[in-house]
Formats: sequence, structure tokens, C-alpha cells
Amino acid sequence: MSHILKTFPVVALEKVSDAYFRLAFEAPVLAKAVQPGQFIHIKVSEGWEPFFRRPFSVYRAQDGVVEILFEAVGRGSRLLTLKKKGDTLDILGPLGTPFTLPPAGVKKIVFIAGGVGVAPFMLFSDRIKAHKAEKLLLYGGRSRAHTFPMTAFKKNGFRVLTATDDGSVGVKGRVSDLFSAVAAAPSARIYTCGPRPMMGAVQAFARGHGLWGEASCEEVMACGLGACLGCSIPTAHGYRTVCHDGPVFDLNELVF
Amino acid sequence: MMNISVKIGETVFPNPVTVASGTFGHSEEMYRSPEVRCLGAITPKTVTLHPQQGNPPRRICETPAGMINAIGIENPGIDIFIAEKLPKLRKTGVPLIVSISAHSADDFALMAEKLNVVSGLAAIELNLSCPNLQKKMLVAQDAQATAGVIRGVKAVTRYPVIAKLSPNVTSIVDIALAAEAAGADALSMVNTFTAMAIDVKRRRSKIGNFTGGLSGPAIRPIAVRMVCETAARVKVPIIGMGGVTCSQDALEFLIAGATMVAVGTYNFVNPRAPLEVLEGIRAYMQENRMTDIRELIGSIAR
Repeated sequence: MSHILKTFPVVALEKVSDAYFRLAFEAPVLAKAVQPGQFIHIKVSEGWEPFFRRPFSVYRAQDGVVEILFEAVGRGSRLLTLKKKGDTLDILGPLGTPFTLPPAGVKKIVFIAGGVGVAPFMLFSDRIKAHKAEKLLLYGGRSRAHTFPMTAFKKNGFRVLTATDDGSVGVKGRVSDLFSAVAAAPSARIYTCGPRPMMGAVQAFARGHGLWGEASCEEVMACGLGACLGCSIPTAHGYRTVCHDGPVFDLNELVF
Repeated sequence: MMNISVKIGETVFPNPVTVASGTFGHSEEMYRSPEVRCLGAITPKTVTLHPQQGNPPRRICETPAGMINAIGIENPGIDIFIAEKLPKLRKTGVPLIVSISAHSADDFALMAEKLNVVSGLAAIELNLSCPNLQKKMLVAQDAQATAGVIRGVKAVTRYPVIAKLSPNVTSIVDIALAAEAAGADALSMVNTFTAMAIDVKRRRSKIGNFTGGLSGPAIRPIAVRMVCETAARVKVPIIGMGGVTCSQDALEFLIAGATMVAVGTYNFVNPRAPLEVLEGIRAYMQENRMTDIRELIGSIAR
């Protein structure tokens, strides 16, 4: 494969909120190769339980260290919360089609993220730090446990607006209640990642305002390489694999 | 010198390790790696006469030491496969086993004829786990239907024919004997086991197609038993598969009587597994002072 398949040592595991973890490992080759929106496929245990690797968007990649942000929701992610500094992780990556970087002339860049779907946008914001556009992150989480100080986004020039279901942080409501902040700017670029209903709402909004957009999707995956065709989702062009054709798709082509 | 080359029909394979169809796709990317060039053969995903879009999601689900899949043979159809995919696959220089499936014996034969136009294939594998339109079962579940498809293909093809058998039968040996009698040059065994998994929260099947095929290490002991029983009764070579993850697993199949061995589902976990299997077989032969793979094949104490 042209990808990297190797074990890398864990350098840090930290809780960034009651619900989210940040796992960092030393992987200079990966850190150099990964592009925003791509993912890495991690074998979370040595045996066959769980059987598949688990895909994670890369959250950060700098100084030879790659980080993921995740919520311990299933067997795989729960096992990752038990990793310690010095443990090694078997990783395949970077995989998938990345986000399209915004050209220099773009006036407004909007990230719309739900929950842990915010992960790929951290790396993306690092990579477009110098971009002159007005930059905005709309973030929706369930509660305080599902938010964290987004200071790194702010450092990268992003204005951050948050909505939570219970109003414990930011506006009480959904991320769609923040759409009004995206005043119609024809050259605005929208990038979204989060639960499917949320991305469906983003698609409707973008269509209504004629805005360009990309969305990063998630699906249960086996190979991660476009071989098994297990993670296919319906698109305007028929079934496409999330792992290889995606995870980033033209927002308009997705079928919600 | 160590001889690990094996033969199916008149085709010689440099070594006994291949990949199970459907686990390496058609994607050029999978085949580009230098490691792939070390394989004895590559077996791309099954192609059908007409393009198939495949089943609705969810197509896969993880199970204990394995997975269930119901992909639905998503493929571009044989014409596009021959025109666009094959040239790239052939560039790898690795012997190619082309897996085909159809809804009737006539369509199987028609596809085999189309492949006659292509030069340099190693063999054709018949994926017989397709509905038998006359009866409410799969072709591979019916000895007569299996034989009919094989005879039809053998009558027209210039390539060795491998019949891929389904384990979802009362006696796989009976089907194997029928396939051999009909002229099959080899048998691939086994395909997946019909299975299902249920999401108890939603009380729905975890698979969009309701049921699917179970594969992975969970099925290996059954597959090994089936290969062992069949090898004792047929003369044609067997390509053994079912949950091979490492060379130890592959050795089980070879010792049971398989001439070749395929890595399937585990490619999804470790894409380097086929190469590790090959290296491990070599090391085992060396340790046991074997100079020819034939000393290993079917060497089980009976």
C-alpha cells in the first residue's frame, strides 16, 4: 500500500471534557503525510476483539505527533481510553479523501460541527491559519460534557459559536439555530462533520443559499481502503465508499 | 532449493498464497503495492454479466472473531471490468484468477466466452453462491445445478475452471464430487456461512439485506474440516479459505489437503497478512526440512 502500516507509541491520553478524550502518539511520518479530513485506521487491541480496526479523523498533527479526539461510546473507543504512555498502536493511514482547501480568494470559511465531529476541523484550522478569510466555527454539543474550550480554534483566527441541547454552554438549542451567523456570502465555503440529521440540515441551508460545501461522513468500516465496499452510502452518483471515495464528499451530492 | 509452486489445470502458480475474492476489490490502489507482487495469485472481486449496484447499507457488521457481509456483489459488469480494470490488474504481473457469477448456466458460459478474448489469465473462478432460478436455493447448494454451470463453462473456456463452493449444504463432499465429475479443475472452499446479527435495541437486523455471510477466524475450524473431508475424496486441487489470519492458519489448510490457500476477511484488518502467510509457510518448510510444498499438502496423519 502507499499508506503507512506501522505501530506507533502513545505519548499522551487526556480527558478534554467529561465525554471526550484526546489521544496522542508519536508518528512523524503520519503527521507529515496527513491532510485535513483524512483518517487513520487503528487496531485497538491485539486479538480479534473487537475484530475491525476503528477509523478516527486526525485531530492534530504537528511536531511529529498525531492526535485523535474521540468519545468512549463503543467497545473500540472504550479500549482506547485504557491506553497508557508507552503503549503502542497498530495504525494504517492516512486514508480517505481530504477536504478541499479553500482558495486564497474565499472571503468566508465556515465549519459546522456536531459533537466529536469537530475533530477534523482542528487540523484543518491549523492548516489554514494564515488564510485571510473571515473564519467561523459553529459547534453543537449535547451538554457541557460534550464541549471543551476551543481556544486553539480561536488562536487560529476562528470565531466560535456554541449551542448545546441543554443550554449549559452557549445558546440553548441546536447548531442549526446558529446558521443565521452565516450571512449569505456567495463565496462562503461550508465544511461540515457531525450526526447525519445535522449534516442534512446543513445541506438544506447551503442549498437554500447557494453555498459551496463539503461534508465528512462516518460509517462502520472494515478495510478502510476501498476494497470491501462495506461502508458504501447512497450519493447522487450511486453508492460510494466512505473510506475511499470519502469520508469527505461534496455536500450537495449526499443523500440524507 | 525449495519448490513452493503449485499447479491448477495447466497453470503454474509461483506459490500457494492468494486472496479470497471480494477482499481485495478492484481498486488499483490495493494492487499497486510491491507486496502484492509476491503473491501466488490475485483474485479480484466477483464480476457479473451486468453492472450491479450492490445492497443498501448497512452492508457489514462485526461479530465475534469475524464479520457478516451482504455487499451484494457491487461491480461494474464484465465488459467494463475487461476494458478498464483488467489491464491494470494484469500490469502487476501476478497470476490472475477472475471470479465470475451469473444468474444462469448460459450467462456463466457467456461470461467465460468474453474472458476467452483476454490473454494470460491464470484461471476462472465460478462464484456459485448465486440464486438458482429454477429452485429456491443457491446453485452451490444443488449438485446438479453446480455440475450444469461447470459443464457449460468448461465447454467454452480456454482457462482452468475453479468452482467456489458454499458451506451452506448438508454434504459439501457430495457437491465437490459433482463439481469434479463435471470437469472442474479445482475447488475453492469455502464461501461464507449464511448468518445474521440483531440490534436488540431497535429489534432489527444489523444488516440491510437482513442476512449476510459470516467470515473470519470464527469459521476457520469448520472450513478446515470441510477441506480435510473433501481432499480425501477428490483428486482436483483445493484452494482452502476461511478465517486465515497468519501462516499457522494457512498451514492447517495445506496440511488438511489444500493446494493453495487464500487470505480473505483478514485483509481488512491486516493488509499485509497474505505476505506474512507466505513468509511463514517458507519458514515452516525450512524448519521441517521440506524441499517441496507437496510434502506439506495433505500431510495430515490419518
